[in-house]
Amino acid sequence: MISRVTATAMTQSSMRHLQANLSQLARLQDQATSQRAFTAPSDDPAAAATALAVHALQQRNGQYARNIDDGLSWVTTVDGAITASTSLLRRVRDLTVQGANDGALDATAKEAIAVELEGIRGELLAQANTTLLGRSVFAGTSDAGAAFDADYGYTGTTGSEVLRRVSDNVSVRVDADGEAVFGAGADSVFALVDSIVADLRSGTNVASHLTQVDSRLAAMLGAQGAVGARQSQIERAKEATVDDSVSLEARRAAVEDVDSVEVLVRLQAQELVYRSALAVTGRVLQPSLMEFLR
Amino acid sequence: MSTFSGLSTAASGLAAARRGMDVVGQNIANQTTDGYTRQRVSTHAVAALQAGGIGRGALPGQGVAVDGISRLGDALLDARVRDALSASGFWSTRAVAATTAEAALGEPTGDGLAARLSAFWSGWQDLSNTPDSGAAGAVVLESAQELAGRIAEGYRAVASQWAGARATVDTTVSQVNAAADRIAAMNRQIRDALASGRSANELIDQRDLLAQNVARMVGGRANVEADGTMTVRVDGNALVSGADARHLAVSGPTSIDSGERVSIAWEGATGFPVAITAGELGGTLAVLAPEGEGGELAQVAAAYNSVATALADRVNAQHHAGATASGAPGGDFFAVAATGPAALGLTVVPTSAAQLALARPGSGAYDATNADAMSQIGASDGSPDAIWADQVLRFGVATAGAVQRARLSETAAVTATTSQQSVAAVDGDEETVTLLTYQAAYQASARVISAIDEALDVLINRTGVVGR
Repeated sequence: MISRVTATAMTQSSMRHLQANLSQLARLQDQATSQRAFTAPSDDPAAAATALAVHALQQRNGQYARNIDDGLSWVTTVDGAITASTSLLRRVRDLTVQGANDGALDATAKEAIAVELEGIRGELLAQANTTLLGRSVFAGTSDAGAAFDADYGYTGTTGSEVLRRVSDNVSVRVDADGEAVFGAGADSVFALVDSIVADLRSGTNVASHLTQVDSRLAAMLGAQGAVGARQSQIERAKEATVDDSVSLEARRAAVEDVDSVEVLVRLQAQELVYRSALAVTGRVLQPSLMEFLR
Repeated sequence: MSTFSGLSTAASGLAAARRGMDVVGQNIANQTTDGYTRQRVSTHAVAALQAGGIGRGALPGQGVAVDGISRLGDALLDARVRDALSASGFWSTRAVAATTAEAALGEPTGDGLAARLSAFWSGWQDLSNTPDSGAAGAVVLESAQELAGRIAEGYRAVASQWAGARATVDTTVSQVNAAADRIAAMNRQIRDALASGRSANELIDQRDLLAQNVARMVGGRANVEADGTMTVRVDGNALVSGADARHLAVSGPTSIDSGERVSIAWEGATGFPVAITAGELGGTLAVLAPEGEGGELAQVAAAYNSVATALADRVNAQHHAGATASGAPGGDFFAVAATGPAALGLTVVPTSAAQLALARPGSGAYDATNADAMSQIGASDGSPDAIWADQVLRFGVATAGAVQRARLSETAAVTATTSQQSVAAVDGDEETVTLLTYQAAYQASARVISAIDEALDVLINRTGVVGR
């Protein structure tokens, strides 16, 4: 059917081809400058679905990384407080052993020990009331200002846990039960130190308290072990999160980002095509029979 | 045979060549006129006068006669162009509407709804880390407001696109009606011209151009009757027949909220809808169709509504399961207006961080188990995120399909137009050659006249003067 070629038809088809070339060029240029392989879901629906899913995963992963950092600061604070408390308690044990030498120590020496023990009790109480950004780390989910009040009463919520989600299915406890570590009321480590001080001053032999000190020390060390185990669990989760973030970023880049070299090469090729199309169009549209008559 | 018959033969040649040059002039003048079809003078040789009787010998013909000016168009190719244009009008309208709606979705970017949802869930997780901080609570409330705003904004964008398309239906229908009237008026002129033997070529060109526009707008079929008039049918009934035109009328809702169908009927016969499934109007109607009939915009709007409903249901259920820091049970977090689309009626109920139910009931004031559970809704089955991602994917596939078909039908339309133009378009070179031919013919005819003139001069002025 297309046997007759007219100047109009050639002009129109040249225009159309130039337009097609130019739109290809614009698309490649857009890709090269934005570095995005697609701009709308319809460009590549499968890639868009993957991109949406990966974005959500990245967002969650980033959130877990924040949770983990926050959790780590909790466990290190708790660990630090317990470590300080155990060394204080060891000092209490040493002083108790020293104070039990009734024959070798006079009342003045015992008073000196008692004063030091009182200081240690204050430090222990301060450690037990350690806060992180205003929250008492041994008080569980309670909102009372301090975990232990002046009467050594435990103000925390018994049995509650402070949790941090470190991955989709795992939450890790980041606090320690203050009551388990320090005891509460008359059973507390503070009351224990107070009773040692009272016995020293009244002249009663303090050796009998050593077993209580030892059992409290064992409780603290047990709690510290648990905190340490959870710390290493969080650190493992952190490594996993970092690995995940790298692989998620790789997946996102593979789907969303363009291969710069490929796009540049294609851009060059398309530019060449466009230039040749322009040159050819320029030559084809010029001549007319009029120029060759007379 | 008359002495001067040679002169009149040559004169007819002069006249034919003149007419030929005139038509070439018309062709060249209209080289770029839209819808112009090239014309040619058609002539025939006039036979010799055979009156007289036997023995007069062979006589030459009596010159040339102009039959008329023929229009070198092809009705079949014209019909093919109309078909191709109606398909391309349909698909390009749908593709344009779909890509516009898709751009408004803003996926998958940081501005999209999916990112807002992720940020909202993330806010709950941050809040579960710091339940004592008023800031984290304010962030959750703020991102909830932003999320509700984004859903409403997305819905409004779709609704306003729908309203725009609805207005286009009115415009297109009135354009079709106007075009039908003009075709009918031209039918009358063409019939009259043809009946009185005049040339109607230019009128036919204009009418065919109008018929092309009608085909692009509503599809339909057009065919030329024996008397030269064109009958245009839409959905089997005549839009234009002879000098009569019928009008289309639009009825239906003017807002996306009603979920009703926009329909087209013959004016004065509202009860009988006209099924328009091609052309730009057909494409627009398909875009405007209710959700159940595959209307793209209605589906996106419905997706916004179901995201809003799912979000309110899931978040409220989890919020009810919790308790606030003061131990009070959690109330509604999102409220959905009882009337109107859910996407527009979504509001955030709590006004301060203290009203957020972060804790499991009966646990400490800083318990944040419920907030943590809330943050996990986004990753669960049937979450608003999943509904949205599914919608984005389905819409992307549908849009890609529409764009693809628009491209194909565009190519078909280009091919059809090219074939039509290859027959009907004016070519400058060709016209130049034809012009030269007619010019030469004119000169030759003039030469014949001067030859006969000289011969007659010899006969009349120089005969019988011997010896003078």
